[in-house]
Amino acid sequence: MFLLSCPHCGEKREEEEFAYGGEAFIARPADPETLDDEGWGDYLFKRKNTKGWHWEMWGHQTGCRKFFIVKRNTASHAIAGSWTLAEGRKAYDAEGGAA
Amino acid sequence: MSKSLMQSPLHHFDLAKQAVKPDGRHGVWAGELPLAGYIALRGDSATPAFVEAASSALGVPLPVTPCTLAQSGAVKVAWISPDEWLVVCPREKLGATIAALERALEGIRSQVVDNSGGYTQVLLTGANASDVLAHCTVYDIAHLDPGKVVGTTFGKSATLLHRQDRGFCLIFRRSFADYLWRFMVRAATPYGFGVALREDASAAERETA
Amino acid sequence: MKLSSHRLKIATARIDYDRPLSISFDGKSFPAFAGDTLASALLASGTRMLARSFKYGRPRGIIGAGPEEPNALVQLEQGPQTVPNLKATQVEVYSGLTARRTTGWPSLGVDAKSLGGRFSRFMPAGFYYKTFKYPAALWPRYEHIIRHAAGYGSAPVENDPDIYDHMHHHVQVLVVGGGASGLVAALTAGQAGLRVLLLDEQNELGGWLLSQPNANIGGKTAPAWLKAAIDELKSLPNVRILTRTSAFALHDMNMIQAAQSLQDNLPLAHRSTDQPRQRLHRIRADRVILASGAIERPLVYGNNDLPGIFTASAMTTYLNRYGVACGHNVLLLTSNDHVYQGAIDMARAGIKVTLADTRADINATWEQRAAAAGIALYKGYGIAQAHGGRSVHSAQLAKLDARDNRVTGSGPLISCDAIGSSGGLSPTVHLFCHDGGRPHWDEALLAYVAPALGREKAGIYVVGAACGEFGLASSLQQSRGVSNKAVASLGKAEVATALDFGSDEPAVTPARRIFRVPDGKKEGYGAKAFVDYQNDVAVTDIQLAVRENYKSIEHIKRYTALGFGTDQGKLSNVNGFAIAADALGQHISEVGTTTYRPAYSPVTFGTLAGAHEGDTFEPKRYTAMHASHVARGALFEPVGQWLRPWYFPKAREDMHAAVRRECLATRRSVGMMDASTLGKIDIRGKDVREFLNRVYANAWTNLAPGKCRYGLMLDENGMVFDDGVTSCISDNHFVMTTTTGGAARVMTWLEKWHQTEWPDLDVYLTSVTDHWATAAVVGPNSRKVLQKVCSDIDLSSDAFKFMDWRAGTVAGVPARVFRISFSGELAFEVNVDATHGHHVWEALMEAGREFDITPYGTETMHVLRAEKGFIIVGQDTDGSMTPFDLDMGWAVGMKKPYSFIGKRSFKRSDTARSDRKQLVGLLTDDPAEVLREGAQIIEQADFKPPAKMLGHVTSSYHSPELGRSIAMAVVRDGIARKSPDGQKAGRDIVYAWAGGRAVRAKIVPYVFVDPKGERQNV
Ligand SMILES: [Zn+2]
Repeated sequence: MFLLSCPHCGEKREEEEFAYGGEAFIARPADPETLDDEGWGDYLFKRKNTKGWHWEMWGHQTGCRKFFIVKRNTASHAIAGSWTLAEGRKAYDAEGGAA
Repeated sequence: MSKSLMQSPLHHFDLAKQAVKPDGRHGVWAGELPLAGYIALRGDSATPAFVEAASSALGVPLPVTPCTLAQSGAVKVAWISPDEWLVVCPREKLGATIAALERALEGIRSQVVDNSGGYTQVLLTGANASDVLAHCTVYDIAHLDPGKVVGTTFGKSATLLHRQDRGFCLIFRRSFADYLWRFMVRAATPYGFGVALREDASAAERETA
Repeated sequence: MKLSSHRLKIATARIDYDRPLSISFDGKSFPAFAGDTLASALLASGTRMLARSFKYGRPRGIIGAGPEEPNALVQLEQGPQTVPNLKATQVEVYSGLTARRTTGWPSLGVDAKSLGGRFSRFMPAGFYYKTFKYPAALWPRYEHIIRHAAGYGSAPVENDPDIYDHMHHHVQVLVVGGGASGLVAALTAGQAGLRVLLLDEQNELGGWLLSQPNANIGGKTAPAWLKAAIDELKSLPNVRILTRTSAFALHDMNMIQAAQSLQDNLPLAHRSTDQPRQRLHRIRADRVILASGAIERPLVYGNNDLPGIFTASAMTTYLNRYGVACGHNVLLLTSNDHVYQGAIDMARAGIKVTLADTRADINATWEQRAAAAGIALYKGYGIAQAHGGRSVHSAQLAKLDARDNRVTGSGPLISCDAIGSSGGLSPTVHLFCHDGGRPHWDEALLAYVAPALGREKAGIYVVGAACGEFGLASSLQQSRGVSNKAVASLGKAEVATALDFGSDEPAVTPARRIFRVPDGKKEGYGAKAFVDYQNDVAVTDIQLAVRENYKSIEHIKRYTALGFGTDQGKLSNVNGFAIAADALGQHISEVGTTTYRPAYSPVTFGTLAGAHEGDTFEPKRYTAMHASHVARGALFEPVGQWLRPWYFPKAREDMHAAVRRECLATRRSVGMMDASTLGKIDIRGKDVREFLNRVYANAWTNLAPGKCRYGLMLDENGMVFDDGVTSCISDNHFVMTTTTGGAARVMTWLEKWHQTEWPDLDVYLTSVTDHWATAAVVGPNSRKVLQKVCSDIDLSSDAFKFMDWRAGTVAGVPARVFRISFSGELAFEVNVDATHGHHVWEALMEAGREFDITPYGTETMHVLRAEKGFIIVGQDTDGSMTPFDLDMGWAVGMKKPYSFIGKRSFKRSDTARSDRKQLVGLLTDDPAEVLREGAQIIEQADFKPPAKMLGHVTSSYHSPELGRSIAMAVVRDGIARKSPDGQKAGRDIVYAWAGGRAVRAKIVPYVFVDPKGERQNV
């Protein structure tokens, strides 16, 4: 029941408007066919499952239908910020790619 | 195509039969607006060529500020996302508007889709109109300034919402229309609810035009 | 008018003596006044015993005056309007109110558990766990009897005739609690111009001040001060006040849920059917100010559960607010100053009052005032034990050591008809704690308090008694100060107030640190002393739990049931924590508290459901042709949120007969189905083909405009998750169809891939599901039907081939016609703007009349497609089926350059196994035998469990076309089993096991009708 700020609509909206989109920055391997099973398995199944700060995606279902990045604390539900996909990537990298 | 062949998404409620001229006896009035043309327009806000071409074809500057509505005459353009708009125009102008858009956007990355069968609009008025919205949607109506349009929840469904003619205009999908109308009537009943006369809705449209 | 035995005329009481009314309780009539609660009305007539206790069947009466009440649970009204387990202390009376007790079985007089009461020594903590543990098989029976005997109320068995709703609020400041400090908070924020919402659970604002009219604030009497504050508040347009509204939960980011009672206080006949009975408010607040007050906790002493024993504050409330004397000869017991004003009020009202203060040294001002009021005061005494049966009649006092909680001498036996005790105040910290906050133990106040600024960062502030400000003047000052901080945090300046916060209340003298009042005996040898009344938890139970090695307070709670139930331990928790701490040899602050979880007080299911019930429970989606189907007598089935025609029975036809008729009509002449519910996505852009190549298993590079193709959509695991036909409108423009139930999921899936992985691809996707209405005209005569209403498309088989589409005009309106088939027959799917959907459907029905065109529903569609072996995603697949498992390798384009979604997973060892479960056809030996869907496939008819399970039946029907049963199933290694080699080895014979029966069946190819696919090409 938290509030999320949609970077496209530019407003804080109620959680009911959004849908969770999974962990952020799990890029599809560039060449799946040459990847070994372990590498493909990591991409498919391995998730951080963090207790604490977590970079994740949310989709603004009833609004702009855009996916965006949220840094959220899975223990306290505190939200550090939300960004467009591109800006979120920058913020994530600025933190060294992990928090 | 003759109008008699056409049915609005709320046709089965036979609202015209129940409609009366709104007055002070009820706290909430609502009516379905006349059939309109609905066009999904996609393209990139950040591409000036697209924005210019679309604006000139529509005869109204394409709103690129988030959650804003542009209106000119009977044409209404609602911002949905940085690359999506919903154009609402009179049914009679649907073909011409689509043709104008496609012509103007030739060669520009974009999409123009006739979605006219998929939507309808309801105008919600009366002293308690905003109370009804507080029952039905999670959006803070106090933040809904004139000229703003938001996509938000309506019960377990969704709607586009903006102020129109001292009331609120809801734009929602055909297949959910029965649910939205029933949910709205249920929320409105404690305040006294009446179906507003269709002529009034049209007048309202003309007034804002 | 003659008043009842315990009713007094109190000038400041909040009841209306001019509005007498009558209520009924347990079949007896009682007088009451408007403004009474059920509890105050019953007490006014001298009612004592109202209940039998949960475990021991001991007589119990009313203890409290609000949500803390543990005993007086009642069943309100009857039939559909009955409400179980309401607290009599919270039920406002109305004319004609009918209620009955909920405990005591078979009757209040004779309790089945009175045996337990007499032998309570043998029913210690965990008694039920220990006694009824064996044999386990009998537990359901034990439980039934125990629950019946426990006698909580009965849930209504009829439909609730009332309506409920939800309302969302967005405010700057939410104030919870409309007592003195809450009013100051609301005024402070309101005068600063903020959007304020003030909630109070009672029928009027004022909180504890309503019980203390003789208090004095700023030179005014409490009622006068209250009126001024409320008038000022009501004059502010930016302040909204909701009474009878209980804030019961606080969630992330200051989302508060509150339940408002709108009509429960009205006589049944006066309630409006247009108005909700209760309303759920969901309030998002920038700042929350908790002014939730405190609840007095009783002291724990022998037989402290006798009817006629109250908390002292409840007695004060009954007197001052309701004009009710809980007794005419009252004994009060206290550890603190809070009882004094109430004791004086009682004495002045003509009640004989004896006051035992456990402290030897007490506040001189209070002592003088008490003496002046004629109160007999015993300093340094406790109650060793109360005496009585169905009502208390006396109490034995004992002299206490000045420092240690032990008995140093005997005291007098005091005769009394009511006892009230005060062990101090327990701040109502629940909301503060719901989303992670913790209270802290304040040794000076002897209370778990919510620190005023402990959650300032989260925008939560606490004022008044909730944060331990127990003095009247000090709590008002503190509320003012803290509220101003909240106001300042929202960028607003403080506005001066005309309210004065001074009071003549004496400064507080420290309370005695006492919870269990000693009786001079070893624990367990004296009279039972109760901590939790609703769950019958005595001091000995907590001590036993500790002796049995339960060390965490959460475990002690669950072993003893301390703090469970409808009162959630509002009176008992702190006493329980303190007694557990003693037994554990720890300080109470080390023991901590149990977890405070929503709801603070019970909320009705109706309120939680709101308008999400009946025909607005869930969105029901309808197609543009719905009225046509209704007119033709269709029965409907839900598919996702859609309601689709299921079948169209004619007079006296059952489903089997109707489906048989619909199937044969379609295969022999022509049928028509509403296919509008399929998901449709318009896709446009230069890179559409590349996009489709990536998201579908098959290839799209060469599909020409005017052509259609079936595609399987896979997830990244290589498993089928949707399917449908996608058509090329022009080189850069395609229209995709999805399954009915998968439409939204597919749309989101495609958007996600486009937005996150392939933003560079020039495509845009727009859902057009609702725009197009689709009529599938199916059967050998479909061309003839369509010809009658479509003149601008050449429908001949040469010009318009199978898997082509054409634009044209049908019944006078623009249409896209797709020659695709989900039945194996010649078929045309006519798509028109849904605004014309009804018209076109009717025109086609009219055109088909000479061919006896037959509308059919989903059931016939399922039979027709199963006869052809066409899969239904989600029925024949379950998220673990690859295209190869489905024997649909033809729909996979392994040569496409881009590694399409799911492709790489085909190479994973488990996905690449050849003996996976695979889709096959099944034919039973007996053509009349229709297998049960879901039946397990096993190898042998005779088996010893566990049998090796090979798979299950996914689709099974009677085929009217073949005159026999057919089935599809997923079977381990099924493709090899049906091969000539498999047949030779007899591996094609399996059994389908369901309902205790194994049915022999042969594995066959799953295309049963027209295996060469000739009919759809005519
Ligand atoms: Zn958005």
